[in-house]
Amino acid sequence: MKWITRERPKIDRLACPWLIKRFIDKEADIVYVHFDKVKSEAKRLNAVPFDIPDVEYTHYKDECTFDYFLKKHHLTEPALQTLAIIVRGADTDRHDIASQSSGLWAISAGLAHNYQSDQELLKKGMIIYDALYSWAKFHQKEKHTQNPTEHLLIDVFEKFLKQKSAKKPPAWVKELKEIMQDQVDTSISLKQLSKDLDINPAYLSREFSKYFDNLSFGEYIRKLRIEKAMEYLNNSSYSLTKIAYLTGFSDQSHFTRIFKKFTGQNPSVYRKKLQKK
Amino acid sequence: MKWITRERPKIDRIACPWLLKNFVDREAEFIYVPKEQVFAKAKELNAVAYDLPGAEYSHYGDECTFDFIVRKHKLDDPAIQQLALIVRAADTNRFDLAPQAAGLWAISAGLSHNYKDDLEQLKEGMKIYDALYSWLQYAQSEVHTWSSRL
Repeated sequence: MKWITRERPKIDRLACPWLIKRFIDKEADIVYVHFDKVKSEAKRLNAVPFDIPDVEYTHYKDECTFDYFLKKHHLTEPALQTLAIIVRGADTDRHDIASQSSGLWAISAGLAHNYQSDQELLKKGMIIYDALYSWAKFHQKEKHTQNPTEHLLIDVFEKFLKQKSAKKPPAWVKELKEIMQDQVDTSISLKQLSKDLDINPAYLSREFSKYFDNLSFGEYIRKLRIEKAMEYLNNSSYSLTKIAYLTGFSDQSHFTRIFKKFTGQNPSVYRKKLQKK
Repeated sequence: MKWITRERPKIDRIACPWLLKNFVDREAEFIYVPKEQVFAKAKELNAVAYDLPGAEYSHYGDECTFDFIVRKHKLDDPAIQQLALIVRAADTNRFDLAPQAAGLWAISAGLSHNYKDDLEQLKEGMKIYDALYSWLQYAQSEVHTWSSRL
């Protein structure tokens, strides 16, 4: 099939031929003629005119001819949709709608300056739109960190992560977790625990947060206690005094204060809300 | 002169050869090799290593290798200065520095995907920088809209 449009293409009259050749009509012949001759030559050559006013393949409202080709030929691939916005932005001077439009426009304007033959220009255009399409399809989410120092840092960081994840937590971690779970109602101390586990207390204190959600010993114990208290508030009718006692708080007001700090509400309010449900 | 760098170029390792060939060394030859071979091959082939840590022609601070060449060889053409900003923006992921950077990056990433041969990619990539340079020199004031084209 022959397709015909105005000479001296910039954006739409390169992007549309690319789309035609790649997705609609592989054998397409693209003809560029002077604006005044498009319609008469279209008739003479039995060619489909595009991207001029008053033909089917043209601009509609804000959308350019590339958009119309996609719609008409039901090309719904996401990469093509991405491309359409970039082309529209560059073609209708709306560089705000896609961040890639300004660059596409600059390169296209430069190519048009460098290649006086429209067919040569089309060849270059095909390479550009092939590239944009591959980017949209395969590399759109990729960030470019070409800075070599940055690369070096990323390499080191990735190695570090690999090492870290490859390392199994030491045996005492599991044991410690169980003890704390069991003794949440007692006043456990790090000192006592390190004795039970036969680990240096300073080492335990330093290593603790690595294996317990980044929390310090004190924070972790408090979290366990609050979770336990929530359980009682959910599933029992124990008084707050009793729950405070069962979760290792020194008294009810201490319990209320810490509970509110963690959850943003008093335990009595928390319980009432649950009952309403 | 021979110039050598890491394989699989994207921005700087295409833009620098373009700059070197057009403004610094007309006879320049370009070689791409795996990263770990660059310095050994540079010695063996008597080539200048560029765009990797440890080479003189490399990134400095926020600036990329293209910037270094502009400075080192005192290229004061205003279009080259503007191009340097676009290249730096695309190469160091600072798309805020130049509006054209995001498009240049997309097209370059796609080109690298489509051409597995680095020298083939360089050949096509050179034409993109020719175009950007022409646009910076001549076409910059032109605004492209549907109505103004008729």
